[in-house]
Amino acid sequence: MIKFLKLYEKFGIFIFIVIGAVALSIASPHFLELNTILNIITQGTYAAIIGFGMTFAITSGGFDLSVEAVMGLTSVFLAILIPVVGIPLAIVISLVIASSVGLINGLIITKLDVNPFITTLAMMTIIRGVSLLVAGGRQIVISEKSFMMIGTGKLLGIPVPIYITMVLFIIFYLILYHTPFGRHVSAVGSNENSSRISGLNVNLVKIAVFILVSFTAGVAGTIRTSQTLIGIPTMAPGFVLDVIAVTILGGTSLSGGRGNLWGTLFAGVFISMIYYGLNLLGVQIFYQMLSVGLVLIFALFVNGIRTKYLEKIKARGIKV
Amino acid sequence: MYDVKAKKVKMKIGQLWENFGLLFLFVVVITIFSILSPTFRTYYNFANNFRFSSLIGIGAIGMTFCIMSGDFDISIGSMLALVAVIGSSLIPKIGGIGGVLSTIVIASFLGFVNGVFIAKLKIPAFITTLGMLFVFRALAFMYTNNAPVYIQDKFWLFMGNGKVYGIPFAAIAMVICYLGAFLLLRKSPFGRYIIAIGTNKRAAMLSGINVDNVKIIIFTLLGFFIGVASVVTSANLGSANPGLMGQGYEFQVITAVVLGGTSLKGGNGSIGGAFIAAMILTYFKNGLGLLQVSSYWQYVAVGLILILAVTLNRMKYTLLGQVEV
Repeated sequence: MIKFLKLYEKFGIFIFIVIGAVALSIASPHFLELNTILNIITQGTYAAIIGFGMTFAITSGGFDLSVEAVMGLTSVFLAILIPVVGIPLAIVISLVIASSVGLINGLIITKLDVNPFITTLAMMTIIRGVSLLVAGGRQIVISEKSFMMIGTGKLLGIPVPIYITMVLFIIFYLILYHTPFGRHVSAVGSNENSSRISGLNVNLVKIAVFILVSFTAGVAGTIRTSQTLIGIPTMAPGFVLDVIAVTILGGTSLSGGRGNLWGTLFAGVFISMIYYGLNLLGVQIFYQMLSVGLVLIFALFVNGIRTKYLEKIKARGIKV
Repeated sequence: MYDVKAKKVKMKIGQLWENFGLLFLFVVVITIFSILSPTFRTYYNFANNFRFSSLIGIGAIGMTFCIMSGDFDISIGSMLALVAVIGSSLIPKIGGIGGVLSTIVIASFLGFVNGVFIAKLKIPAFITTLGMLFVFRALAFMYTNNAPVYIQDKFWLFMGNGKVYGIPFAAIAMVICYLGAFLLLRKSPFGRYIIAIGTNKRAAMLSGINVDNVKIIIFTLLGFFIGVASVVTSANLGSANPGLMGQGYEFQVITAVVLGGTSLKGGNGSIGGAFIAAMILTYFKNGLGLLQVSSYWQYVAVGLILILAVTLNRMKYTLLGQVEV
């Protein structure tokens, strides 16, 4: 049973994907076409990209609700900056602005010692307000057509967002599993006090993690802006739920200390498969909200049962 | 060096702050807006805002219990909308009184469901309720097919707009709820259980408190108060809208509770503080609206108030010596 649970934590998401794929290929004759599959994966990349950052945050014992507001902020700044400074510089500046939100989050959480949950809840509202103020409450159209390349372009037949996701995945994978910083993130998440006592600069790790989350939100915001060519201050309301669902479903432990980036990557694809299936059924948009909410609660349910079982086993003195 | 005298002075400041800080803030807010806006200082506006403060105020009672026990609930905004549309749609079948009662019962049940998830499955409250936030909202949409329900029933509307001897019924309901909550928190064993769990969950469990059950009751109670708030809110608006109702409600309620002096770390809290804080927030928003401040600035302002309130709270408890620095 313990072995099964450990395997489930690592590979559970693949079971879901296989079941989903079988169901969808029965339901739709078009599902097994290359274009459809690439499309589904592309749709899944936004949640997965921010999911990488969120995996870091949850692994370190934190949490970030402000990601969707950061996407909107990035979008607005891109739309304003592209005509002024050109595309590459605009992207760099927007990503720096997005990351600075993470810096503020991190500083409030560590220096003022405010709960991360409340901090980012407040920051979500503040950043939404700021985005709306900067944009003057409007949506801003971007006239530079070549900017579309990032979101809709293809290289060797594969959409660009997939490349971006892969590059980010490799970088985040290396950081989390193969650098001292990654181990520090896990250490802070498993036991903050002992990390502090053993000489880790816990505050610095936390601030860095929140910067990473906001950075990934900025990247996802850039991709989505480039697809529509509109700077939208209220972009993606409720997207934070997708991101957290992806992270938890991927097997990252809510109690901190153990992140699963592979899981996050594939959970993004799985959520996108659900959306595709719902589209096939032709149901209205709020069914999507419901389904993602239910998926999250289901993932939590399984997570809860697993934790309870492991605790029982530990109480009996069996090493897990 | 351990300076006893300095510590005593600090405690004095902390106590003054705890007792009179909020009232002082309330007076400051009222004074500033009264000077700036002639509409703000009319009797009608004052009375009306007192009635409106029950919207945040009633929800803040349940949230105070919740935060004092060391948890959060951010699903309440969606819950508010869901139970309002269900309850008001039942009016033609079971009448106004039945509708109001069923709204409150359904809300309590939803709170109970939240509580079972959190207590029995040990899932952190904020993430359970984050999921529920979307589930409830989606169910509200699906139930009405995204159309508002208009309310014409006299009894239901009375809950929001009616007056007893010239006093708004909503305000009376709020005061009754607060008295009940105050007695529950300060004069009953249940109140002490909440404080015990918020202060030290493990110690509470070891001393024989059934932590799981208390938590479930706390969330059920929160649901109950949200049910009441839902009736009052929809009666005020004359309709129940599945999409617009309760947007950002959880945020305002949490801000009121924290501003009211309840510690996010659990254990310490104040029902009376939440009451005054709910009024401060309502008058503050009303004042900004009357001065025609852009609603975007209001977003920023409310967010800043929340972070500021948490920080001030921590400073206060540090002064009182209840938090190790």
